[in-house]
Amino acid sequence: MRPRGLAPVSLVLALTLAGCAMTTALDVGYPEQGANRALLASAAPRRVQISDVVDHRMETARVGTKPKDGGDIVTSRPVVDIVREALGVEMSKNRHVLVSDRPDVVLTAAVEVFRLDAVQGYRSLQYVGEAIIALTVVDGSTGDTLLTRRYVGIRRREVDKPDESQWREVLDTALARAMHDLATDPDLVAAVGGSRAPSARPAT
Amino acid sequence: MLLCPDGQRSSADAIGQRTRSVVRRIRSGVVAVALLSLWGCASTPAPAPTARPFDDVRRLAIIVSGESALSVVGHDAEPGRTFDEILAWYPTKPWMRPLADLVHKGINRARELGRTATISGSIDDLAPRTIVAASMARTLRASGWFDEIRTLEREPTAEDRWRDDAVVRVMVPTWGLVRVREDPDLVAGFAEVRGYLMAPGTGVIRWEASQDVTAPEQFPLDAFKKDHDFARQQLVDILERAGQRLASELMYARSAGR
Repeated sequence: MRPRGLAPVSLVLALTLAGCAMTTALDVGYPEQGANRALLASAAPRRVQISDVVDHRMETARVGTKPKDGGDIVTSRPVVDIVREALGVEMSKNRHVLVSDRPDVVLTAAVEVFRLDAVQGYRSLQYVGEAIIALTVVDGSTGDTLLTRRYVGIRRREVDKPDESQWREVLDTALARAMHDLATDPDLVAAVGGSRAPSARPAT
Repeated sequence: MLLCPDGQRSSADAIGQRTRSVVRRIRSGVVAVALLSLWGCASTPAPAPTARPFDDVRRLAIIVSGESALSVVGHDAEPGRTFDEILAWYPTKPWMRPLADLVHKGINRARELGRTATISGSIDDLAPRTIVAASMARTLRASGWFDEIRTLEREPTAEDRWRDDAVVRVMVPTWGLVRVREDPDLVAGFAEVRGYLMAPGTGVIRWEASQDVTAPEQFPLDAFKKDHDFARQQLVDILERAGQRLASELMYARSAGR
């Protein structure tokens, strides 16, 4: 006789294993330990509110597909939360204070691309991770737009032995590159400081 | 509920208890396996980068260094994949596999050279390391962090050597076009760049970075073959982007650990 208690547990196990095979969730992020004080700290400390981070990706259900079985690759947290957290880390690390009211400047961001692609070679695989974040800085008191800029982080990596840990590394690095460009952008420094700066370098 | 004589009931109870005990143990084991499976799906956190601060550097020289090779990287799976299918019919002849690998590499090397030749005519006069170094210098100057930044095509002379607080050597080992998307096949400009910063006369490296820089825009390869001006502009753009990237990473690491 088959014990009845095993049936639901077996179902959970089967679903778990099936889920693992079909969908992989990546814990992508921008850890605070990896962030440095950068050019963004040149602006006097400001009260910064990160208001809206919206998802403008064409495909929001996944960040990529697995090269072998076509299963979905997703992030374990919503992409907008990952980007909001990354922006918060950069602002805090650069001595600005995150607030929810009476801000000096307000940041809004749109995630335009957050994606992992793979190109299958003969004995190798190339991953391309891409994070494109459009950032707008608004004066907290007047509502004037001080800066609109797109930050693009791309990581390309060729591997001989594909491994799931590489997917996360590629997306982590793409996000980090976008954040590093942001934290070292003199125009953003000026905007966070409260002035509308002339463009010192072209939008990347 | 069935009523049984005492002896039968105690025997049935004992069997029931043993069964429940076994089910509990199996359930615990299955839950543990499920948890381990889920744990296996997650990856470990990426290690934090390490760097030594160099925010005392105010005068910087950027020196171009090394050789640069233009290439059009296809990452072609064929004809190797077809060879594999054919070889599956001849499992007793393992010596054929290395031969197939060699043929695959040879064919794709010839393809790559052919593709590179079609775009190289329009960019013969481009100096990739110089473009990267100039773009890097522009980006660093815009930061306002440095009093002086100069770019050099060769190592400084003996009397000039102590003028700078630090030198950054910039290399561009490869650059060109790389296939970044399948179905449809699309390519993008790329540049592999390296930079390292050292104090003159010490040999101590205070920062180094390797960057795989890829253009965000992707096009069919034909677009580059047919329009040489377009190809040239795209490749200049990616080299400038590579200079900006190196500069961003250098500035980001400048106060690391502070």
